[in-house]
Amino acid sequence: MTRTLTLSKERKNTVINATKEVLGKGGLVVFPSDTVYGLLVDATCDEAVDKLIAFKNRPPGKAISVFVRDMQMIKQHAHLSRQQESLLSSLLPGPFTVVLPSKHTLVSKLESEKGTIGLRIPDYYYVQQLINQYGKPVTATSANLGGSNPHYSIDSLLYQIPKKKAELIDLIVDAGKLPRNKPSTVIDLTGEDLHILRQGEIVFEREDHYISRSAEQTKKIGQFILDKMLKRKMSKPIVFIMKGDLGAGKTEMTRGIAEYFGINRIVSPTFVVYYEYDIPKHTEKAYAASFDKFVHADLYNVADEREFEDLGLETYLDSPSVIVIEWGEKLGRLYEKFRQKALTVFIEIQHKSDQERIVDVKE
Amino acid sequence: MEKLILAIDTSCDETAAAVVQGRKVRSSVIYSQILMHKEWGGVVPSIAKRAHEERIDWVIQEAMKKAVVQHDQLDAIAVTYGPGLAIALEVGIRHAVELAQKWGKPLVSVNHMEGHLYSPFVQNSKGNPSRTFDFPYLGLLISGGHTELVLFKDHLQYEILGETVDDAAGEALDKAARMLGFGYPGGPVLERLAVTVDNTDKYVFPRPMMKSGDLNFSFSGLKTALLYKVRKMSDEEKQQEIAYLASSFQEAVFKTVVKKTEKAMVETGIHHLLVGGGVAVNKHLRTMMRALAKKHGGYVHFPALKYLNYDNAAMIGVVGAIRAEKGLCIENTEKLDRVPRLSLLQSSI
Repeated sequence: MTRTLTLSKERKNTVINATKEVLGKGGLVVFPSDTVYGLLVDATCDEAVDKLIAFKNRPPGKAISVFVRDMQMIKQHAHLSRQQESLLSSLLPGPFTVVLPSKHTLVSKLESEKGTIGLRIPDYYYVQQLINQYGKPVTATSANLGGSNPHYSIDSLLYQIPKKKAELIDLIVDAGKLPRNKPSTVIDLTGEDLHILRQGEIVFEREDHYISRSAEQTKKIGQFILDKMLKRKMSKPIVFIMKGDLGAGKTEMTRGIAEYFGINRIVSPTFVVYYEYDIPKHTEKAYAASFDKFVHADLYNVADEREFEDLGLETYLDSPSVIVIEWGEKLGRLYEKFRQKALTVFIEIQHKSDQERIVDVKE
Repeated sequence: MEKLILAIDTSCDETAAAVVQGRKVRSSVIYSQILMHKEWGGVVPSIAKRAHEERIDWVIQEAMKKAVVQHDQLDAIAVTYGPGLAIALEVGIRHAVELAQKWGKPLVSVNHMEGHLYSPFVQNSKGNPSRTFDFPYLGLLISGGHTELVLFKDHLQYEILGETVDDAAGEALDKAARMLGFGYPGGPVLERLAVTVDNTDKYVFPRPMMKSGDLNFSFSGLKTALLYKVRKMSDEEKQQEIAYLASSFQEAVFKTVVKKTEKAMVETGIHHLLVGGGVAVNKHLRTMMRALAKKHGGYVHFPALKYLNYDNAAMIGVVGAIRAEKGLCIENTEKLDRVPRLSLLQSSI
């Protein structure tokens, strides 16, 4: 008998408690995540994993990734070098699955034939809460049958699976329609070089080096970089210095960053040099709401470095602001001032081909 | 007697003041026009706050002197409070508030885009052009900073039917010129080049947002399309094709604008057009807009004088006079704040 619970802020505790209970009994749960709906079972329980494999029609020997709480939990279940740890702390939590040599502490059927395990720290409040409280890793595989597309809503999932299969599910946690984020990017860290096994939404080539194939992806990369900066909670203004040719996607990335704060009316400020926006106080992301102003500048038309000093841009450094500066490489002398007073990141977007952009990030 | 207004506009790089009597301009002073006669409404950046600060007193004095007006004759002071550059707007507002307090005059706040919308009705000191208001109108505001389609229902009543979601039309033209190797300002360069090939649309660049179903504009992708086209060409080829590239780009922008305006005409049933903003000085666009109006049995009004297409305070004064007439003055002048992303909708009564 499948139970369905609707996830909402108010019912958070009820839903998480019910999920813990089902997982504890070796049950199978459909649960939302930062990407698609996932299939959760206790990753330390043999019978539960068998049930999952039966449900997915998963051929044996094909690995199944696992949600963990934090870096410490990664180290508990996999071998990790210090260098890898520093790379991962710049990426996680986020839409990435990392493949590492397993310490064989979890159910062995979750590992690949080579004895590696895929681990994931999702950037999703409810999964984080769940694992925090449950205290054990749970599987993170997408809620679909082997070989078919992942699902963004419960309706579409139930429509696809045969009734018999559906009966195997013990609990469905319905968070409505999820935003159409792609499944995670899978990064293999077991070899000499980093290797991408599956490209997700954020196409990541190596540390601080991303590839965008659409305006939408450029926005996502911007949001991802911003999210990492916000999580450091430096209580300083945040400044993005953007460099890139006309048409590279600087305004698109700015739009992504603005949307993160709930600002949806970004237009090019080229004519007036910069526009200022109020950051709404009701955003879901509590820390983001501690910023007051969003400033979108474009130095394209500014010819003379001396003018910056009268532009007034640096006055925003004295209040909680997020500042994006297109053609920011023209900042000249002011650049040092920004670096001193703000958490500053330098982003360069380059055309690789008509469809591809390379995004480089430097602090 | 029509209201006598001193108006101030510092929305971007221009420091401007004017004295108007109702719709008649008694004086209009624009600082940069005195120094350099530039053809296009884009920014030669001198946007600095200090620049406005240094010029504004002189510009106001000049406007008062040229109009032969004493401050006690004024009925009100009008000032632009948005949209525009925050620090630039602040200078105009602060000076307007100070003068209103010092001279004991009411203060009226005006949306810069209202000014552009009313600019076809701004008259010289003799009362020309004599055209009268015959609401409703469909307004197209097209410049380096804006591209908007506005339903102008009655005095001070606006609805935005469509606007750009990224770059303004004038900005796109300017950036295209830059890609073709021309300096600033780029719009007039494209216009001249296009004339040499009779405005041929050889390359048929994508018409942005043509199938979006709404009345919004987007010119960012068009810019990218030109970039890719130019990149694939050798220098020689580019030189050979430059007039065709310029013309085709301009056609893509203007045909999109005309098509969207036509769609708005069909949807609203309004065939009386107003066109304002820096790009509206383009003769080819004017011809296209006239043909469009004629096709639907309507007409189109442009600003009668060239400077009225660009940033100026005369159009702000004309709106200020109407607002003052209706008693729409700021009660607490201390509280008047700049709104950098002010929309016409926020100023509609």
